[in-house]
Amino acid sequence: MKDGKDLAEFCVEFGRDLGGDYVEARFVHGTGRGFAYRNGAPVSGGIAPSVGIGVRILVNGNMGFASFDRLDKTVATDAITAAYKMAKGAHRKERIDLGEPVSNQAKWSVDIKERISDVDIDTMMETADEMNRQMSGLAQYTMMLNPFETAKYLVTSEGTQIEGFTSYISIFCLLTAKGKTGDAQRMLDMTQCGGWERIKDGKVIEGLADEAQRLQKAADNAQKVAELMDQPIDMIVGPEVAGIIAHENVGHPSEGDRIMGREGAQAGESFWRDLDFGKSRVGSDAVTVCEDPTIPNTGGFYLYDDEGVKARKRVLIKNGVINEPLLNREFGTKFGFGSNAAARSVAYNREPIIRMANTYFEPGNHSFEELLEDVKLGVFMRTFAEWNIDDRRYQSKYSGVEAYLIRNGELTDTMVKRPVLETTSVGLLSSVDAVSKELRFDFPGTCGKSDPMQGVPVYAGGGDIRFRGIRLGGVG
Amino acid sequence: MSEYDDLKTYVDIAVEHARDKIEGIIARGMISSGSQIRFSQNSIDIGKRWEELKLETFVVVEGTRVGYSERSVTSEDAARKAVDDTIAFATRLPESMFFAGVEENVHKYRDLKGAYDPRIDDFTEMAPEFVNSAIDAAISEGAKRVAGALMFSKKFTFLKSSYGPEGSSKMTSFDINIRAFQDELDHSGQGLECGTMPTQAEKGIIAAGAKAGGLSKEAIGAVQGEPGVYDLILSPTVGANVLGGIPDAANPFMVLIGFSPLGDKMGEQIAPDFVTVTDNPWIPNGLACRAFDFEGTPTQQTEIVKDGVLRSFVHNTTTAKMYETSSTGSSAMLGLGQGLKMLLPNTSNLVFDNGNHSVEELFENPKPTIYVTSNWYTRFQNYQTGEFSTIPRDAMFLIDKGEMKPIKNVRISDNTMRMFANIDAVGDDRRQIYWWEVPTPTFIPSIRIRDCRITAATQ
Repeated sequence: MKDGKDLAEFCVEFGRDLGGDYVEARFVHGTGRGFAYRNGAPVSGGIAPSVGIGVRILVNGNMGFASFDRLDKTVATDAITAAYKMAKGAHRKERIDLGEPVSNQAKWSVDIKERISDVDIDTMMETADEMNRQMSGLAQYTMMLNPFETAKYLVTSEGTQIEGFTSYISIFCLLTAKGKTGDAQRMLDMTQCGGWERIKDGKVIEGLADEAQRLQKAADNAQKVAELMDQPIDMIVGPEVAGIIAHENVGHPSEGDRIMGREGAQAGESFWRDLDFGKSRVGSDAVTVCEDPTIPNTGGFYLYDDEGVKARKRVLIKNGVINEPLLNREFGTKFGFGSNAAARSVAYNREPIIRMANTYFEPGNHSFEELLEDVKLGVFMRTFAEWNIDDRRYQSKYSGVEAYLIRNGELTDTMVKRPVLETTSVGLLSSVDAVSKELRFDFPGTCGKSDPMQGVPVYAGGGDIRFRGIRLGGVG
Repeated sequence: MSEYDDLKTYVDIAVEHARDKIEGIIARGMISSGSQIRFSQNSIDIGKRWEELKLETFVVVEGTRVGYSERSVTSEDAARKAVDDTIAFATRLPESMFFAGVEENVHKYRDLKGAYDPRIDDFTEMAPEFVNSAIDAAISEGAKRVAGALMFSKKFTFLKSSYGPEGSSKMTSFDINIRAFQDELDHSGQGLECGTMPTQAEKGIIAAGAKAGGLSKEAIGAVQGEPGVYDLILSPTVGANVLGGIPDAANPFMVLIGFSPLGDKMGEQIAPDFVTVTDNPWIPNGLACRAFDFEGTPTQQTEIVKDGVLRSFVHNTTTAKMYETSSTGSSAMLGLGQGLKMLLPNTSNLVFDNGNHSVEELFENPKPTIYVTSNWYTRFQNYQTGEFSTIPRDAMFLIDKGEMKPIKNVRISDNTMRMFANIDAVGDDRRQIYWWEVPTPTFIPSIRIRDCRITAATQ
């Protein structure tokens, strides 16, 4: 790490000497191992140590970025000089302004009891075998297990020096069940943040067994319930579906760079562009959605962002009204709010941009049974498969995998095949009338954005949420 | 010594270092330099530069015990350590049920003409001017706001296998995605251009800008589309994503893990007889051109769909043995997550045969027809059956009774296999598509499809 840190500091000095008004260098050292299995049998394994430095340089209000994977001064100076020239030649009419200088010095780490790098391969493969056994009743199951650690050192010309350490066990499964009423398929992400103890503490084995059984149950029992299409119904979604809604319908449109058009050609813009913070209503009073990177053992955990700004909880929607966007330093200055520490860079060779961390519906005061009580006809959608949303984040679709009929206040055993929740964001959030007490982050995921693509680990969740008067987009 | 000489030295050392320790090794070195200009609101946001040198090692310890690693190296000792680490890791792994050998014959490889732009280093100076010209072209055609990204790169690779094959390649490439907007969020258009010769691309890059700007203007006044069943005309951009996904899944590994709808379809008619799709690693200007694959097997053209019938999967040595056929020279190291790549078959450039209808003729359809110019966020309910949905974005038009008017806010919710079978007419405007939503370079014309299901938000 020392050589990389020294070189990062050299990069900042070199960039300043070139004429950069602001220079930051991020040294990133990652180690990862990977194991792939199909139907329980190993198909591949690999290691990928990753080392490199990414440098941003601001020149007369124009930004340049350089990255390199060889810790070599000649390579560094060539790359930074190229980035400096590209920035200098950009000639923006509106200069990029990062606002007030930031000069934080800190060290942070995710909570770890047992370092992943201290766990031997045999232990990992024994655990993988146990994980595979939980899915063995399915027709097909593929699992990728990728434990990896990343150390970062951020140094800037404003005096920031931050050392951060993250550790993940990435667990991704593609499950296919063949049953009496058809096939059911889902991609299951059970990624854990922390040390190897997260396999036990995160109840990974139990979770895999439970999800495999539930998928098989859906394949065996889910049926088209035609009467659900005849009239508006009530719908309750579990924390997994609440999480994807919080992420897609609230988190993404709240990103300041989208709102101001910087992602226009890639992830798109945002319907929040034409709204007023603190005034515009996009949901019912029951809707409060937050973002918080500081929650331990979550995919989005960090204490300082990749611009060195101290992390804090952000309230995106407060009682149905948009409250604050996600911001980095550039867009914090443009909005006049300042950064709220949303800058993340997934690797040394990616620029830090505005990203979500952990996005969730604030819990309400109902029990699940209370949510059910006065539902005459409805659906409880516990998990989803196919989903998408337009690039303004206004029209979304979520198709259920495990879903049950609710009749006369009771959750029945009747499984509903593929109920489709296809609405606008405002239409969806305005129909929420209650959220349950229990906050769970049942949706670990990898959020994609930007070009080149940056897939960052995030968590999302909520309690159970009740929507009133929903017209389903389809069923069966 | 040049960087390329260094690279070659590291690869040679890796193979020699492993030769007496294990059954075999394939080492590949790659040195690349890439740049990108990103822009929005008619201004350049950031200029980026990447410099990378990587050594990949695939080791066969014994039998089917294999492993892989990839890392940057800066010295001969680092190359040796990369090999030692990979061997140490792979030795602990169990035997793989998905490995049955690699290429063992030495071959001569074809010279890929037009794959390398000798003036690539000049392009760094030219690129900002090209970007600004594209922005100007979009505005001239009526756009108010323009965003996008121009990427360009050069890459040298050197491959050496202890089993015999050895080869090198050099490639250049560029791609631009440009999107134009009116003041309104939902009046927008997209232009794409890509290829292997960036310094000759000015005309195409400016045309992409003009196309985006023109479409954004034509989208003005778009009204809410109505759900229902329509014939669709997919632009090459949309067809590459929705239809291109089917030949892209003609891959034994995707079948085995449940990611392909083609598992039991070999020899079946899956499209009309005027549809032929080829995996073509030699097509001029193709971004995924290659003369040899990761094992050193020479590449070849593979007819995946011939006259509408599924004829072949792409194969490497392992899957060819599993299917009792020959490798199609399609072996690649494919990423399966952080720290993990796997030796698998992979398509190169997918090439749909051009049709014989002009785009105007595609529009001449007696039934209500929707013309979709771009799409994103394609997701599947079930990869094996093909149930999916995707969201049209940018300009979209309803053609009905001879009138063409812009519409918005609908979703294609259908089945890719059914749509492939329902191809009604193929245009003569084939072009290469490569962007966010189309990671496999796909040469495809506009295509009309019968009776597709369109949905919209219920509230």
